[in-house]
Amino acid sequence: MTDILVQLGNGFLACLHPTTMLMLVVGIIVGLLVGVLPGLTLVMGVVLFLPFTYKMQVTDAIVLLSAMYVSGTYGGAFTSILFRIPGEPIHVPLLWDGYAMARKGKPAQALGWTLIAAFVGGLLSAVAMVLLTKPVASFALRFSSPEYFAILVFGLTSVIALGSGSLANALISLALGLLIASVGTDAIYGAERFTFGMPIFADGIEFLVVMVGAYGVGEVLTRLERGFSSKPLAAVATTKTKLPSLGEIGAVKSMLLRSTVIGHIVGLIPGAGATVAAFVSYGVEKQFGRKRAEMGSGVVEGIVAPQSAATASVGGALIPLLALGIPGSGATAVILGAFMLHGIQPGPQIMATSSAMVYTIFASIFIGIAVMCLMGYFAIRPLVKILDFPESIVSAFVMLFCFVGALAIRSNVTDLWLMIGFGALGYLFERYGFPIAPLVLGVILGPLAEESFMNSMISFSNDWTVFFTRPISGTVMALAILTLSLPIIGLIRNRRKPGASLAAAPAAAAEPNKAAPATAAPRAVRP
Amino acid sequence: MNVSRREVLVGGATVAVACVAGPAFAEDYPSRPIELVVPWGPGGGADQLARKIAQLGEPEIGKPMPVVNIPGGTGATGMAKLLSNPADGQTAAIYIADAHALLAGKSPRWTMEDIAPVAVLIQAPSFIFVAQDSPHKTWDDFAKAAKEQPGALKVATLGFGSVDDFTLSFLASKGVKVNQVPFSKPSERYVSILGGHADALYEQAGDVGSFLAGKQMRPLLVFGSERFAAFPDVPCSKEAGFDIALPQFRAIVVRGGTPPERVKKLSDALEKVAATDGYKAFLKEQFAKEDSFIGSAGAGAFVAKQLDDMKAAIKQAS
Repeated sequence: MTDILVQLGNGFLACLHPTTMLMLVVGIIVGLLVGVLPGLTLVMGVVLFLPFTYKMQVTDAIVLLSAMYVSGTYGGAFTSILFRIPGEPIHVPLLWDGYAMARKGKPAQALGWTLIAAFVGGLLSAVAMVLLTKPVASFALRFSSPEYFAILVFGLTSVIALGSGSLANALISLALGLLIASVGTDAIYGAERFTFGMPIFADGIEFLVVMVGAYGVGEVLTRLERGFSSKPLAAVATTKTKLPSLGEIGAVKSMLLRSTVIGHIVGLIPGAGATVAAFVSYGVEKQFGRKRAEMGSGVVEGIVAPQSAATASVGGALIPLLALGIPGSGATAVILGAFMLHGIQPGPQIMATSSAMVYTIFASIFIGIAVMCLMGYFAIRPLVKILDFPESIVSAFVMLFCFVGALAIRSNVTDLWLMIGFGALGYLFERYGFPIAPLVLGVILGPLAEESFMNSMISFSNDWTVFFTRPISGTVMALAILTLSLPIIGLIRNRRKPGASLAAAPAAAAEPNKAAPATAAPRAVRP
Repeated sequence: MNVSRREVLVGGATVAVACVAGPAFAEDYPSRPIELVVPWGPGGGADQLARKIAQLGEPEIGKPMPVVNIPGGTGATGMAKLLSNPADGQTAAIYIADAHALLAGKSPRWTMEDIAPVAVLIQAPSFIFVAQDSPHKTWDDFAKAAKEQPGALKVATLGFGSVDDFTLSFLASKGVKVNQVPFSKPSERYVSILGGHADALYEQAGDVGSFLAGKQMRPLLVFGSERFAAFPDVPCSKEAGFDIALPQFRAIVVRGGTPPERVKKLSDALEKVAATDGYKAFLKEQFAKEDSFIGSAGAGAFVAKQLDDMKAAIKQAS
């Protein structure tokens, strides 16, 4: 314990190094901006910033990206509450109660509650992260290829099950992602697949190209189709945050704690990130909370639950990233990429070999949350001003960043063409109601899953039962099967009850009173 | 990077002259910064070497050596970049044993004629490591267990078709048959023996230095004809009856057909770099041979012999 405190203390000191501190503040500001800008998602923001970290010290690079991650789970709260525009999918649940509260003439209070929720949720989760990463890391030595494979299968199934929208579309999206991932030279035997004799395909398709294309270019194309028609929103630039009193916070403390725990645990699960955490937490409140009847009409619980869980998910997501080298969400997948670009493979060894760096990252999360909340308090006005910029100009910058990001991966122009292709794919996905997240997760997790599967087969003489007979992999596999079967059960149940349809997120946003529990309730029973 | 207009003009004129007069003007080389291609990602062994050379080499070469990372295809992507540039010595690449092993396989994407080795910069022998608490106290224990139950012991390696593969296949042909489990990610490779999922690890000592220092791993055998100075108690493979040594080497190459006097000039500059204290300390950190450096006179023959040795090991094994 004292050991941890000493190391954390050193981490804080390291964070105070001018360049590190600068990166932290830059990361927080960019994360807030990314959170505020609708369409420019958190994952995309982190992706776009990745090339700028190539030349940095590894610690600074990670501090920058994780600071963006933290504040990206918060920035969108402003636009959700003030304009009913979720800057991030994370903040869709905030549309229901946050916007309703603002409509009742209390936007400042609503913003104050999100600030407190992000602060408390983030900090408590960070404490858990510091205390748990080491035990999880030593436990992680018991993980071998079968366990990795089981976790990856769980990650792949949970992204289907937890996402909103049609299960079939999510499965198609995931399968396409896995197919894209299989292009290239296979990692074990060196067989070439789907390369069509072209050298660029022999090296496989970079997941960053898919990600930047599908999210970034695709979104710009979608907006282009609408003629950049989102209206500039004036008359909100004078809004100020109003913090709740300690007594008011005390009244919701158990709910705050519950949401934080949910957020942390959801963050731990590979494939589920801040968005899932926010939805699940809102769902739990709606289902079991004290104010469940009033949820959706602008109550504090409806704001605090999703926001605290979203920020708390960061602390959870960093544990498997650091202790196992497995990204728990899209943003951590990019942070993993940043680690690997700097030649560091996060995993059990990182605690032993680079513990100073790990504790600097830990400390940066604490400082980051504090800095973020300070900025949130003072910087609402300038942040909200961004919404005055015409959409066309913002989109031009998004495109510029996409091209720079894709080219920077390996200085190959073909990657740009691929990115444009995936941009078109992303646009079509968006247009015809296919989720993009499973596609991207398939591309990222597919090769990892394949390699650990092949390794297991080689290690255990082609005995596939190891995935089910080894205790850890067996348990995780069972969870994966459960995850996959729950939405199907839910679907069957819903068919029996007409009217209670599994609504997609946009529909949910439009109907604050009923859609949320329908989407979130089946998930709530599962930790 | 303050380049005055005059320097630019002079530089431009030099290039023009060099183009007209051809390679006879070796003294004009290098006329501009030498691009140093690293066909691997930032942070790895090849990258660390490139950045060290670039840093120590600038005063000797007289021009900076900007490092460009072009990872992919076990080095093939970066090599393609080297081969797409003119054979004028203005582009160089780090060339390591793992990429070289591709030439021993089917349909390699380049040949020995495509490259002109400038200098071998690092030679580090490979080892068999086990976890500190492994039941195999010595190499003899390990070899005995492997002979009793062929294929039962698992050894973590880089992958099939690699130098690791050649060496272990060679051992198998001599009766020490193990199950080779490939892990392309270093951390998984190391976790595999620390967590008891594999029995041994094939690796260079520099890559697991922190585990050796932390008493988490220990070496059983070094591949080569002599013991390694840092581990005097560890037998070499020749003593154990295996005449095989495929060390990890990292060299610097330019495109084949580069004028020999330019190659020599670069090699001479690198020889001065290799003599610096900074470089010697780097070699020690990497658990590399003290006399790793081979200039352009011997580098070509060394690289060619490595390929012959790899092919011989494969032939012996099959």
